[in-house]
Amino acid sequence: MESIPPVYSSATERQNKTYTPPWADLSIIGIAGSSGSGKTSVAMEIIKSLNLPWVVILVMDSFYKSLSSEDHARAHRNEYDFDCPDALDFDALVQTLKNLKQGKKADIPVYSFAEHQRQPQTTTLYSPRVLILEGILALHPQIVDLLDVKIFVEADMDVCLGRRIVRDVRERGRDIDGVIKQWFGFVKPSYKKHVEPQRAISDLIIPRGIENKTAIDLVVKHIQMKLDEKSQKHSADLQHLGLIALEHELSQNVHLMTQTPQFIGMNTILQNPATEQVDFVFYFDRLACMLVEKALDSASYISTAVNTPQGTGYNGLNPAGTTSAVSILRGGSCLETALKRTIPDCITGRVLIQTHEGTEEPELQYLKLPPQIETHETVMLLDPQMASGGAALMAVRVLMDHGVKEQRIVFVTCAAGKNGLKRLTAVYPKVKVIVGRIEEEREPRWMEKRYFGC
Amino acid sequence: MDDIEFEPVPSPAQGVGPIYRPEGEKPTATVSKSLSYENVHVLPQTPQLIALLTMIRDKRTGRADFIFYSNRIIRLLVEEGLNHLPVVEHSVTTPVGRAYLGVKFEGKICGVSIMRAGEAMEQGLRDCCRSVRIGKILIQRDEETCKPKLFYDKLPADIANRWVLLLDPMFATGGSATLAVEVLKARGVPEDHILFLNLIASPSGVADFAERFPKLRVVTAFIDQGLDEKKYIIPGLGDFGDRYYTL
Repeated sequence: MESIPPVYSSATERQNKTYTPPWADLSIIGIAGSSGSGKTSVAMEIIKSLNLPWVVILVMDSFYKSLSSEDHARAHRNEYDFDCPDALDFDALVQTLKNLKQGKKADIPVYSFAEHQRQPQTTTLYSPRVLILEGILALHPQIVDLLDVKIFVEADMDVCLGRRIVRDVRERGRDIDGVIKQWFGFVKPSYKKHVEPQRAISDLIIPRGIENKTAIDLVVKHIQMKLDEKSQKHSADLQHLGLIALEHELSQNVHLMTQTPQFIGMNTILQNPATEQVDFVFYFDRLACMLVEKALDSASYISTAVNTPQGTGYNGLNPAGTTSAVSILRGGSCLETALKRTIPDCITGRVLIQTHEGTEEPELQYLKLPPQIETHETVMLLDPQMASGGAALMAVRVLMDHGVKEQRIVFVTCAAGKNGLKRLTAVYPKVKVIVGRIEEEREPRWMEKRYFGC
Repeated sequence: MDDIEFEPVPSPAQGVGPIYRPEGEKPTATVSKSLSYENVHVLPQTPQLIALLTMIRDKRTGRADFIFYSNRIIRLLVEEGLNHLPVVEHSVTTPVGRAYLGVKFEGKICGVSIMRAGEAMEQGLRDCCRSVRIGKILIQRDEETCKPKLFYDKLPADIANRWVLLLDPMFATGGSATLAVEVLKARGVPEDHILFLNLIASPSGVADFAERFPKLRVVTAFIDQGLDEKKYIIPGLGDFGDRYYTL
């Protein structure tokens, strides 16, 4: 049966072993319109109807440039033009959007309207699948190429002015004369010059803003469809990686715990459904302790000489740098008791990845990583079970997006399916894995249910 | 085996780390001496074990850290020690409905600590075996004869039917441990049912002990360089009991 197909290309041999998380396929929706047209309300309404952590609004006002002291004084006299493109830091905005499109995290400036200054702190934006960019110039030529959908919200100019007066007086502490001076001096001329021209290049015009339920509903449906497409693609990608990984040998970086009688005995107790929860917790903690101790073998050490009370020197080792841990919730928190027994003050981050029941797609729901995690010498990723390896792939990617080097990650798990392990190590060969038990077939997660009793 | 093996300078440090790591990338440290007795088991000399030992050897380490890091090593010792106990096959159907060919622990165990330092190992034992019975033996040096003398013992009544984990962290000449084993044997514990768990041993002491009790098993974390003129282990870590309880 040795025959070459009639059309043969070596390109099919080269297999793509990279993992693309859903946030590296970001869709950006620009919503522009006059001040007071109801852009913000429309964007908020869309977010509210979708109610998903990965659909977020980015407000363009965050990218206002800091004002010099003269400009600052002019702003207070309502003589500064905030509606002209020059007031915005488009370079920073473009860079931010580009980073997000590549799945990287982005630091969003915090702008104070009171001081007309950028604040020293920033907010981090990471892993949105859909980003709604909202601002009067959201469809500006400098960013229009980065947008997937271009929406223009329209309202009668009188209505816009009315809303602006109410908002600026109530929320921003301005006086009516000032608002009107600003409106006729800058806002309205700027609308004609910079904002309205965006209307022609938009995909969708929403007249009457927030009152236009039909239009908002259409946008929501469109986003929903896009999200479904992304989920399907993500799931298909994961499946594809699984197929590629099948052909791989188990990586050298996968360390199976030595199957000693005690270790097997503990595994027997843990897997026996007749075991009481209190015993399950005890043996789980004991077994997990051994996993964490083993994981610390993969950490870095440096030689050190110490003096003993006996007055003799000893050539020993000290751990090099910081070792931290990130638990993949909720299961990962089962391993934290053992972690604290080994390193009581271990710096611990948390990431909640839920596997969608219908599609089996892992979803990043929540993330809180320790500061400067990129400087840590070893970062342990804790998850009691690895089934398909989807959540593991995503968690590793999250760490790497935050600057943690692949070779510094040690994945610690009690049990893993062979193919899940292969999938993880085919994509991230430098990640080390400490695993208690390897199963030929994947098994659904059950350990955390036993540990927590629900 | 000579009764004293004295090396004023620690043996040269060597690379420590997993086999897959190239020799040049391994940090160097002094690892345990190896003895070729079948009944002496030294814990794998992993970098992290060495780091734990470094912590408790360092005279600057305070008592809280000393206790914490000793307990970690003791747990490793207990886990390794328990592996020498018999098990029987035991299959279970797992929560996902699969058959798992496992094992079940067989036989009753108990701990016996040689006071006072051995008592410091009880916590580590309880961490692994929750409701374990623990007997105690007090052995002191007789002022007149300079030989170890049994002062007190309190052991489970059915100790003859149990596997015994004998606990003593420092093993220098092995006088106390030898006497303790004699006591256990006199109570009817078969020699091959005794596991001696120890943190740091002297090479000469442990060699004598292994020869004298060939069926007993020694599990230790480290075999050190030797003894000084006062029969203290060097480099050692000083007086374990003092550092754990009082210093």
